[in-house]
Amino acid sequence: MIENSAQLLSAILDVGEIMLKAGAEVNRVENTIQHMGEAYGYSKIDVLTITSSIVVTMHEPDGNIETQTRRITAYETDMRKVERCNALSRAVCKEVLPLSALEAEISDIRQEKRYPDWLVFLTYGFSSAVFSAFFGGSVRDMAAAFLGGLLIRCVQLVGRRLKVQNLILIIICAASAEFVTLIFVYIGLGASADRIMMGNIMLLIPGLALTTSLRDMISGDLISGLLGLCEAVIRAVAIAFGVALVLWQTGGVL
Amino acid sequence: MRQAVVQVVMGMCGAVGFSILFNVRGKKLVAAGLGAALSWSVYLVLYHIYNDKIAALLGAALTVAVLAEILARVMKAPVIILLVPMLFPLIPGSDLYHMTINLVLNNTAESAEYLNLVMREAGVIAFAVILVTCAVQVIMKVYRHFTVKR
Repeated sequence: MIENSAQLLSAILDVGEIMLKAGAEVNRVENTIQHMGEAYGYSKIDVLTITSSIVVTMHEPDGNIETQTRRITAYETDMRKVERCNALSRAVCKEVLPLSALEAEISDIRQEKRYPDWLVFLTYGFSSAVFSAFFGGSVRDMAAAFLGGLLIRCVQLVGRRLKVQNLILIIICAASAEFVTLIFVYIGLGASADRIMMGNIMLLIPGLALTTSLRDMISGDLISGLLGLCEAVIRAVAIAFGVALVLWQTGGVL
Repeated sequence: MRQAVVQVVMGMCGAVGFSILFNVRGKKLVAAGLGAALSWSVYLVLYHIYNDKIAALLGAALTVAVLAEILARVMKAPVIILLVPMLFPLIPGSDLYHMTINLVLNNTAESAEYLNLVMREAGVIAFAVILVTCAVQVIMKVYRHFTVKR
C-alpha cells in the first residue's frame, strides 16, 4: 500500500508538467514519469503524453489503481527547469524522497530564476543583429537588426500584458519589424532590407518547433509530431502574413 | 574566407544569445557556443567539398549530435540543452524567409522550390539527430550487457 497515492501521483505529474511546459521532448517526459513511478513502488505504469496533455494510470502492487490527467496550455522554453527536473528524477531513482520533500523540491523548481529582464531585452537585439551578419549583413545592417530585435521584444511584452492572442501577436511582431526595417533602409541606416529582416525573423521563426516535431514523428510520437508541425506551419504562415501586410501596403520600398 | 570566419563567429554568438533566451546557464553556455561554431565550420568544409547543402547539413548535424551526447554525459545534463543551441546555425531560417517572401511576391514556382528545400533541410537535421540517439542507445545497451556480466 502506497501512502497518499493521489498526492504522490499529482506531484509526479507536476514534474512532468513543468518539463513539458519548459520544452522537453515528449519521450523524455514519459520516461521521467515512468522512472519516478517505478522508484515509488508502483507495479505497472501507463503514461500517454502529447503536446497539450498528460494521462497517467499507476497500479499499486496491492491492486489499487490511480489515474490522473493534466492539461497543458502555456509554454515557455526554460532549459534550466528541464535540467533540474531531470536531476530530481535521477535523485528519486537513487533514493526515494518523502512526499513533503518532493513537493518542496517541485515548488523550488517552479520558482527557478531566469536571466534579468534587461539582459533578455538586449539579447533579443543581439541575436537579431548577429544573425543578420550571419546571413551576410553589413555593420549598418546589424545596427538596424539590433533595433528591430529590441522592437520585437517590446511589442511582445506589451502584447502579452494586453493578453493578445499568440498568433495575432506574431503577425503584429512580424509586421512591425518589417515596417521599421523599411524605414531604416529609407533613412539609410541599413542597406539590405532582406538581411535585416532575416535577422529579425530568426527571433520569430519556429525553427526549433519544426525540428522538434520532426524528431517526435520519427521517434514514433505521431500525435505530438503532428501537433508541433501544425503549430510550426501556422506560425510560419502568421509571420508571412505579417510581412505581407506591410509589403502589400508599401510595395517593398518607402 | 573572411565571410566564413564572420559566419562561424556570428553563429557562435547567436547560439549563445538563444541559449540565454532559453535560460541555459553556466558552463553549458560556453559548450553551446563552441558546439555551434563547430557545427557551422563542419558545414562550410563539407559544403566546399561536396557543393551540396543537404550532404553538408547531414555531416554537420551528425557531428554536433555526437558531440552533444558525449558532453551531456560528461556534464550530467539532458542532451537537448546542448543540442538545440548547437543546431541553431543549421536551422534553415534564410530559406524559410525566401519561401515566405516569394510567396508574398507571387513567385509561386520559386516559393515551392524553397519550401522543398526547407523540408529536406529540416528532415535531414532531424534524421541525423535520431540516428545518433538510436546509435547511442544501442551502444549503451551493449556496454551495460558486458559490464554487468563481469
